[in-house]
Order: sequence, then C-alpha cells, then structure tokens
Amino acid sequence: MSVCAAGVATVAYPIRMAFARTTAHDCASDSSGERANDSAGGMVHVSRQKTPHPKPRTGITGANVLTAAQLADHEKLIPLFDSVRKIPQIIDGIRCNCGCGHPPEMYSLLSCYEGEAMARECAVCQGQGKLAARLHSEGKSLAEIRIALDAKFG
Amino acid sequence: MICLHHHLLALALLSTVGGPSTAAAQIRASEMGTMSQIIDGTRIAMQFYRPRARGRDTLFGKSDMSWGHTWTPGANWATTLEPSSAIKLNGVNIPKGKYSVWMRLNSASAWTFILDPDFHRYHMEPPDSNAKQIRIPVTVTTAPFTDVLTWSMPELHIDGGTLEFRWERARVALTLDVTPSLVMTFPATEATALLGAYTYTDIDKGKPVGTPKTLTITHEDNTLKGRFDPDDPYFKKFALIRIAPDWFAPGVYDKTGKIYEVLRPDETWEFTRTAGKIVSFVVRGEDDEIFARGVRKP
Repeated sequence: MSVCAAGVATVAYPIRMAFARTTAHDCASDSSGERANDSAGGMVHVSRQKTPHPKPRTGITGANVLTAAQLADHEKLIPLFDSVRKIPQIIDGIRCNCGCGHPPEMYSLLSCYEGEAMARECAVCQGQGKLAARLHSEGKSLAEIRIALDAKFG
Repeated sequence: MICLHHHLLALALLSTVGGPSTAAAQIRASEMGTMSQIIDGTRIAMQFYRPRARGRDTLFGKSDMSWGHTWTPGANWATTLEPSSAIKLNGVNIPKGKYSVWMRLNSASAWTFILDPDFHRYHMEPPDSNAKQIRIPVTVTTAPFTDVLTWSMPELHIDGGTLEFRWERARVALTLDVTPSLVMTFPATEATALLGAYTYTDIDKGKPVGTPKTLTITHEDNTLKGRFDPDDPYFKKFALIRIAPDWFAPGVYDKTGKIYEVLRPDETWEFTRTAGKIVSFVVRGEDDEIFARGVRKP
C-alpha cells in the first residue's frame, strides 16, 4: 500500500490485514474497544475509548470545504482542501483525532475543513486529511482508512 | 423569627441580583486544588482541598487524624480520583471511574488507601467498609515537612509513574500503571521477514538528499530494533513498535534502556513486502509526506 522505492508492485497488505480482523465490528465503532487484538499477527494498536467514528451524513457534499479563494493566506494547503472536497463521503466518516474535544459543531474531520477550518492551522487535521485522501486514491475503503488513521493518530 | 427569615431572604436576593461577578469567591482555610496528568492517553485527575499545617508541627495521630480513623487526604469534600481508563495502583486494578479517596490511618507507618465509588462525600462522613471499595495497604515514609497537603506525580515514564501524597512529614507513594496503547515487543517468528540491512535515504520533496545510511534491523530482547550506520546520535539503537501490520513507529531509549518517547504520529515506517518478505519501506511524517526511504540491501 505504500510508495515503493524499488518500483515493486505494492500491495494492500497492512491495512487490509488489519481490517480483516475487525470485520465483525460495526464500522462506526471499530475503534471503541480497549484492546483490538494481541501481538501475534493481529492488530496491535490499542485505541483508547474514544468517540466512535461518525457515520457519513446522507447527501453530504464538500460544498462547504474552503476554496482556493478562501485559502489565500494558506496557498500550500489548497491541494489538500481540494482533495478533501472531492471525497466528503469518506472524510465525513472519520473522527478527528487532533484532541480538539469534538465541540458540537464539529461532526467529523470534514468539519475541520469548513467554516473556521481548524485544518488551516492544525498539523494533525492536515495529516489525517492527507492520509485519508491518499489511501482513498489507493482504493481503500472507509473502514480501512479509519483503521489506518487510528493506528497513526489515535 | 418571621422578620429575621424575611431579612435573610432579602439579603440572599440582593446577593444574587446585585452581587459582584466574583460572588462565588470564598477564602478557605483549605483551598481547592487539582492534579491532572496524562500518560499515554490516560488522564489521571484528582481534585482535593488543600489544608495547611498553619504552624502545627504534628498533625497525624491527633483529632480526626487519630490512629484508627478513616480520613480523606484533603479537606471539606472528599478528595476524588478519576482515571479516564483503567489503571493500576500498587498493582491493584482500578477501573475507569470516579472515586472518593480515603486513608485509614492504622499507625504512623501503615495506612490503607481506600477508593470508594461514592465520590461526593463530605470529609466528616467516611464511608463504611464495603465490597465496592478498593483497599490498598500503603507504607508511610518520612519526608521533609510539607506545609500544604499535596498530591502530585513526581516521577513519570511511558506507561506510568508515581502518585505521591505529602503532608506534614508523611509521604505515601503509589506505583501507578496505565494500560499501554502499544505493544512494544515483537514476536521473533514475525521478525524474520524484517531482519537485515537496508539502504536508508533521506527524501526532500520527492528527491533523495544527503548520503545514504545503512539501517540494520535486529530482533533483541523480544523487540524489533533498528540502528543507523553512521550512528544517529538521537536515535542510537531504537525500537520499531508495530502500530498496524507492517506499520511501525520508532521508540527512543533513554540511558537506562527504557523507551521514553514514541514518535507517533511524527514518523510512520511503512514496510512493503514481495512474496512475503519485506523489500523496502518509506517513512512518512505527521503530514503524510515521505521523508525517507529504505531498500533492502542485496
């Protein structure tokens, strides 16, 4: 699943393997357990009891994600915001792990790219968006993307 | 009596309507304090009123702190302890929750630390011993005089620390362990696919920079470890801690050989396999940008 320096065809092994071990869980609560598995080949990351990943809202769009014009002071972030705008159904199904405390107006990671847009300043919001967009472009499902984000940022 | 009652009511109304914004301010003999510490994602929070010695040289063994009494190590309302996830104190499991904290003062040197799920109790109303309580025998040691009752965590490590009580010359230290978020060990059977030497190259904006280094991955002490050649003065020999299958975060050791920092999400080492064997990896930063690559040496 990674970029491969040697040009060898990369495989979706890591995240798919982790996902395969959690398919019995509800996608929206796959990170709510204390200990996901043991170290013997399973998913070893132990996520704290956090709020579950949100369910993407029906009909959600990226219309409120900040545009290039709204990011005049953050030009380097325009490609990231553009990539997030294209996959609202994915980004809206991800819990933000930046430690913002999930104020009521923040439904999902998508909220971090709208309005006041915490992602303009927050490296964790940016990193989560980048990783989610990359994995989506590699064909990963929302469930796989959630697991990868929890492993890295959870 | 009726007049007095009306007078008090009027005063109460005045105080609520026209009082200053700091109406809740109150000067207390024992001001409220808090102690909060996050360890590996687990928050340990304590709230306690802090009595002062106020010139009294000996406090324990007298009055409501007589030997045999149960006393909250605080004042006013009982001291509370609230771990956000399960912890251990002196090896005893403490489930996530909120507890009132009590000490049974058995003698000058032996107390019993008591956690009671009934967390909102007045200090003069210690709970009777009951099955829901967690009771831990503790040793009291002598320390330099402490004027204000204090709870703190003077020692920390990646999966715990020392929870310390001090007042007067009494010191009680409890070993606190949190539930680790990561498994530091790595099975030898799985390590085989990763072991060996890799050419490690720093990457900047997609292009190699600097002189490539050799990274050697070994399996020692049931842990996957890496070491650069030439040596990296910060990493030295470091742990590779699995966060997902074939994804690792580096853990840095202190001089005593204990991991003191795990660079997550700062660095994610993502390994790639061919026919089951690891052939290469990339290192991505918090921003998901690749800043290093590794390719297995022939």
